[in-house]
Amino acid sequence: MSLDSNVSAESTEPTAQRITARGGRILRFVEAYALLIAMFAVIAFFSLWPTTAEVYPTMANFQIIIAGQSVLAVVAVGALMPLICNEWDLSVGASATLSAVVAASLLSSSITVPFALAIGLATGVVVGLVNGFLVNFLGTNAVITTLGTTAVIVGVVNQVTGGSTQVSNIPTFLTEFGSGTWLGIPRLFFVVILVATAGHYLLEYTPTGRHFYAIGSNRNAAVLIGVNIRKTIGIAFLIAGVLAGLAGLMQVARSGAADPRLGDSLTLQALAAAFLSAAAIKPGRYNVPGMLVALFLLAFINSGLTIAGVPPYVSQYVNGIALISGVGLAVNLGRKREVV
Amino acid sequence: MGCILIEGERVEVQGNALHLDGISKAFGPTRALVDVSLTVAQGEVHGLVGGNGSGKSTLIKIVSGVVRPDSGTIRIGETALSGVLGSRPDEARNAGLRVVHQKSSVFPDLSVAENLALGSEFPRRRFGAIDWRAQRVKASEVLERFGIDAQPADQVQRLRPATRAMVAIARALQDLGDDNPGTLVLDEPTASLPPSEVHVVLDAMRRYAADGHAVVFVSHRLDEVLSATDRLTVLKDGVKVAELSTADTDHDQLADLIAGRHVASTRVTDHVRLAGDGGPGLLVRGLSGGGLKHASFTVERGEIVGVAGLLGSGRSSLLRILFGVTERSAGTVTLLGRQLTPRKPIEAMRAGVAYVPEDRTSEAVFSELSLVENLSIAGQERYWRRGLLRKRRELRDSLTLIDAFGIKCESPSASIAQLSGGNQQKAILARWMRREPSLLLLDEPTHGVDVGAREDIYGLVRQAAERGTCVLVVSSDAEELELLCDRLVVLRDGVTVDSIGVGDRSDGRLEKIV
Repeated sequence: MSLDSNVSAESTEPTAQRITARGGRILRFVEAYALLIAMFAVIAFFSLWPTTAEVYPTMANFQIIIAGQSVLAVVAVGALMPLICNEWDLSVGASATLSAVVAASLLSSSITVPFALAIGLATGVVVGLVNGFLVNFLGTNAVITTLGTTAVIVGVVNQVTGGSTQVSNIPTFLTEFGSGTWLGIPRLFFVVILVATAGHYLLEYTPTGRHFYAIGSNRNAAVLIGVNIRKTIGIAFLIAGVLAGLAGLMQVARSGAADPRLGDSLTLQALAAAFLSAAAIKPGRYNVPGMLVALFLLAFINSGLTIAGVPPYVSQYVNGIALISGVGLAVNLGRKREVV
Repeated sequence: MGCILIEGERVEVQGNALHLDGISKAFGPTRALVDVSLTVAQGEVHGLVGGNGSGKSTLIKIVSGVVRPDSGTIRIGETALSGVLGSRPDEARNAGLRVVHQKSSVFPDLSVAENLALGSEFPRRRFGAIDWRAQRVKASEVLERFGIDAQPADQVQRLRPATRAMVAIARALQDLGDDNPGTLVLDEPTASLPPSEVHVVLDAMRRYAADGHAVVFVSHRLDEVLSATDRLTVLKDGVKVAELSTADTDHDQLADLIAGRHVASTRVTDHVRLAGDGGPGLLVRGLSGGGLKHASFTVERGEIVGVAGLLGSGRSSLLRILFGVTERSAGTVTLLGRQLTPRKPIEAMRAGVAYVPEDRTSEAVFSELSLVENLSIAGQERYWRRGLLRKRRELRDSLTLIDAFGIKCESPSASIAQLSGGNQQKAILARWMRREPSLLLLDEPTHGVDVGAREDIYGLVRQAAERGTCVLVVSSDAEELELLCDRLVVLRDGVTVDSIGVGDRSDGRLEKIV
């Protein structure tokens, strides 16, 4: 590469860069679809492995997996919003639990069913608003703030339930919705499709979604292009709260009960999927389709392991490792883009 | 490429403090350096110049052992670094190499003594506690030896910018005695200094060279490079395009070499003024707030007015008040006959104000968003139709802007971080110009931008002025103010002290007033 080949003002890109553009495209494809390919590889593996081949690739098993992930998926779409603004909401699992136990205990009282559900959902709204308010107006770190609200919520949950699972008087139409299928697909999954589509739309096709990414990328710069930071972050926490509330109701519908110990594992798995989303479909950027891919990848792994007879604690290993590698990938995919 | 040291060569390069041979480095598909050689003798100040993305910073990282070259050899003093096998920062350091980076080289919250100690070792007492008294004594010695006007207990952020830079350099050099000359690499040490303080650092640099150290000086400012160096190496696109003796070259030749093309060096602003057409555009009366105490001046429509003044003179506060970032405590501002009293940026934006901040990386660029998104982010409402962001229209408009502003990019939908500093700055300018502002505020518009892109940016700013925009430019680069502006407003201690037309002014006069 000599000076002469490069004098024209238009072609200042190094020649080598153009030659390897094709290699770059292939690399980008692999980067975007690696987790999706891994998911199909996992399904293929457990479908062919003699130990699991009989049970794993059956309609019933896939239905269980999909229904089992629906509650989590809705929580994770919610957790994604503050995460994109670079604020972590650790209270989503607790918030879902609160909504579930409040709705379940109201259903066993004399209040009408829609009202009970509405109040369950409203608890999620309240949690979201409180988180948003604290983070914005006290300026406290979101991790610590939501850790604090989580502790308070757990307290409320135990006060409401006395620590025991709420089971009485769940109306049958609710449990039927929670356990039934349409066209062979669990009904709850249709809720996931709705929520995921709405989430994707918000992030990709509205100014608010663009502002989420802008705040997450460079908060100072976002201020200087006129973004109302407090309002936008408040909206992100509110969405996280509302979806956690909705997930709580879905949990009541699915299990016909509200277990006060639901929350811990939900938060961790939702955040793992949210972080891993930056490694799929749109690399380097948290996104809804990528989050779904990550979530179902983990679900297909865990289901296979369970059927193979692996002790249940192994799936906790999987979730923990997934969370850490998700954070690692998200940080490094972002960093790589800044090197050149 | 000589990966083997030949005996004869070793004798020949005796006295060379730094010797790089055939250094190449690629990051993925990007070839950052191709077969670059560099030799710096003891007692020499060697300028390393090149545009953004020319490979300067990669070369410095390789020399200091932070980045591993793909091929080539490195020798510092008598020590050959293991190079390709993986040299390490401490290896380079032990060989006598010291690097002072433009940013994050001092800890502003800590004292001078603490800053100096962090560069070597804290003297310890028994049980490992730091012996602060010994450290203060040691710091005083260093300050005296390097002729720095500061006390060990002074907090670094309270020092003048030049003194801060000197502390960073002294920290790097403190444990190299005169009997033990080393190699000092200064990466844009003058970038954040006002013109009146630059000479302090340049003088010190010459002094260290005279003491037998070898100095590699990296700067975007050609005047400084020409006045302070003995020899020069010019990099472009990772290739060494020239190595010359400073005495044999001049400003224009150097600018052409860096840009790889002929750069029009318009010394006088020659854009068509709209003066008188629209009457006064911006009227500022007794404006105060932040570091600004009492500023009064006007900017006519189509006029480019420069704000000269030292760091801390209130010049950045002025722009931030006009954009609604910093609170205004007194005074009136009128823009095109209407009161301008923004309390937040969005209000200023609605009134037709645009603001390109000084620190591009931390205040303007969204490095995780694409170029297209970065271009439209300050005005995306226009693509929000019937509940959808119209991405196709957004892309089409962005392509038009990329073309109009001469932004060079591989793909508009890839991250803006892929662009060079100059192209990022053009993109930020394009982001605001698409809003067709009536007042454009520019804070250090060519900070960290190479010569070629700098000329382009000047051209774009002049185009904006020709359309009737009032332009207010803050810059610490005297040459820039002279090249770009029609008129200068001088700020001292937050008060406007003078207003000078560009015709009746020489460099000397500006320095005196400031």
